[in-house]
Amino acid sequence: MTVGTGAGADMGMGTSASASASASASASLSASASPGSVVRPLQASGAATVDPVVVAPVLVALTAAVLALLVPGRRPKQTVSVVGVVAYAVSVGLIVDRVLLPPDRLVYQLSGWPAPVGVVAVADPLSAFMLAVAAVVAVPALVYAVVHMSDDAQELTFHPLFQFMLVGVSGAFLTGDLFNLFVWFEVMLMASYVLVVFYSGPEHTRAGLQYVVLNLVASALMLVAVGGLYAATGTLNMADMARRLAAPAAYGVAVAPVLGASAVLFAVFALKTGLVPFQFWVPPAYGAAPTPVAAMLAGVVKKVGVYAILRLYFTVFAAGSLPSALALPGLAGDSLLDFYGPVLFVVAAASILLGGVGAVSRDRLEDVLSHSSIGQVGFIVLPLALAATASGAGLGPPFGDVATLGVAAALVYTVVHSIAKTALFLAAGTVEGTTGTTDLDDLGGLAAQSPTFGVAVFAAAVTLVGVPPLLGFFGKFLVLSTALEAGSAVALAVAVGGAVLTVAYVTRLWGRGFWGAAGPAVGSTLALPRSEVAVVVALAAALVAVGVGFDPLLRAAESAASAALDTGAYVDSVAPRGPPAGGAGAEPSVEIEVEGIEVGVGAGGGLPSTEVVEP
Amino acid sequence: MTGVVLATVLGALFALGTFLVLRRDVVRVVWGVAVVAQAANLYLVTMGGLAGIAPIGKFGKEGATGVTDPLVQALVLTAIVISFGTTAFALVLTYRVYEEHGTVDVGELGAAE
Repeated sequence: MTVGTGAGADMGMGTSASASASASASASLSASASPGSVVRPLQASGAATVDPVVVAPVLVALTAAVLALLVPGRRPKQTVSVVGVVAYAVSVGLIVDRVLLPPDRLVYQLSGWPAPVGVVAVADPLSAFMLAVAAVVAVPALVYAVVHMSDDAQELTFHPLFQFMLVGVSGAFLTGDLFNLFVWFEVMLMASYVLVVFYSGPEHTRAGLQYVVLNLVASALMLVAVGGLYAATGTLNMADMARRLAAPAAYGVAVAPVLGASAVLFAVFALKTGLVPFQFWVPPAYGAAPTPVAAMLAGVVKKVGVYAILRLYFTVFAAGSLPSALALPGLAGDSLLDFYGPVLFVVAAASILLGGVGAVSRDRLEDVLSHSSIGQVGFIVLPLALAATASGAGLGPPFGDVATLGVAAALVYTVVHSIAKTALFLAAGTVEGTTGTTDLDDLGGLAAQSPTFGVAVFAAAVTLVGVPPLLGFFGKFLVLSTALEAGSAVALAVAVGGAVLTVAYVTRLWGRGFWGAAGPAVGSTLALPRSEVAVVVALAAALVAVGVGFDPLLRAAESAASAALDTGAYVDSVAPRGPPAGGAGAEPSVEIEVEGIEVGVGAGGGLPSTEVVEP
Repeated sequence: MTGVVLATVLGALFALGTFLVLRRDVVRVVWGVAVVAQAANLYLVTMGGLAGIAPIGKFGKEGATGVTDPLVQALVLTAIVISFGTTAFALVLTYRVYEEHGTVDVGELGAAE
């Protein structure tokens, strides 16, 4: 009932203009806070600010998607889409401005239903950080798509689908409800299914089929995991779940089933993130998708999996402790998160090595890039693994402990990989558009044809290696220093080995594709489209600029990392209400039933007064 | 008793779905995905608990000590709609694959690489 209501209200708001939606939402908020109302005031003392700006990115992208679907013709669709994505970046900027530095948390209760009954949208520093990454990738990817893709391709569905993908991504970053997370994943994936098979040639349909079937199985598994978590904890609200896991006896929560369901959920997220052993779908899908979409898949959609791992395992499940009978030898502690430390470590190390080896041995530009993105995601997850198992050793500022350092390293590396891989995928699209091939054997001497383009690609490529003063240096530096501080020699060895592999494939890509004599497909004079080159150059310039002026990003990452690890503050900001500790958590129906009736009466539902629990 | 029956049905559905997903025929694979999705939906309903009366229309009537959790049923409605859409898309994609490759055999599709 509750989730259905929340989702329905959300969709309803999206179709109307965002301004009127916010107005009516704030009206209902003030009504519910008035003294005569039966519904209790939304905010407990000390809770975060309630603000509809939280859902602004979702609404902006949704409005753009619907408009882009409705307006006829290519030009209007392009205009709507570009204006939409710029407005999206502005709305993300508003949230970043409010919550990232100094850290704050904004909570928006959809339709005014208080947590945990209604669906909440939460913008904390971690969400804001990931939204900023999405916006930074989405704007250049869309501008590039407008100038790069053929007129026919942009005539009908490309722009609405792109915006719908952005809707799903933003919703996933912002929701505070587990089932709602599943729904946003589906919104994002459904748009990506169509975008992967967009060109619908033989190899596109085959890659698309594999991608679709895998993700459908993963979605079913996610549903099973969500159901299991609901049955075990009696709630779907993430903050409420963390609260209950922190005091399992008081709420009658059995922690062991939570471990099982969270393990199923982990497999789902690992698949969406493309971690070994679920990496095999990545190269065909990225190769089949149009290059701006491949940039979005590698730069944004992949990072939704990283975000979900951070939010659920580091914020929510970290609150739970395993019964001592289940504790395995060799684990640092007995929290659920400690259990995932070794798992994360193994998948990260395997991804780094397998992705690196795969990238070294490929001959097509986009194959090298997609294998590289398997390895680079390993670099994102490796510090997370160390953070999960880290003991609370004190470090100097700006990081209080190894856990914060590890998560911040992962976040900085997320930015590095998103921007650099977007630039490289877009560059690969330009190369394919002008030469008709991306086979390294047929390329060569591209840098001589357009020095500007060559320098930009070089900057993006060596960013992956980690050369100062580019941004990639700080990513690698933080990952390595996490390994050092955590005292993990194996992690250090894996990271260095992965860095060597990165050097190998970047050198190969640069040497065979861009340097040396002109290849057969390049010819003597090649006119690279100026507007496409400009987008790649802008991204490369961003890598240099953020690398030189790194301090704001570092502070933002530190803020987001602290927020990801601070379960207490997250729970307090959402302030889920419910029965006092000691409720019948083992039988979720009873508890939810009472809550539903309690609020249902206040909201004007026709339920009998005998069931009302007075505030 | 209901619990045992549902558990058996769930096990059978997941087994059937997994079996179909592993077949070579792409159409059967899509069928398998659909069966697994429905099994997940049934599992979700079961997770709401089986005690209590229907959660609509009979509040406060004689002998009604509690209602079944309505939340999972709302979740399943959403999940059914999603799996309907994705299954339809997968079937269309299967047809498109057949048009492009002239086969729906996974082995032959892989060999064409």
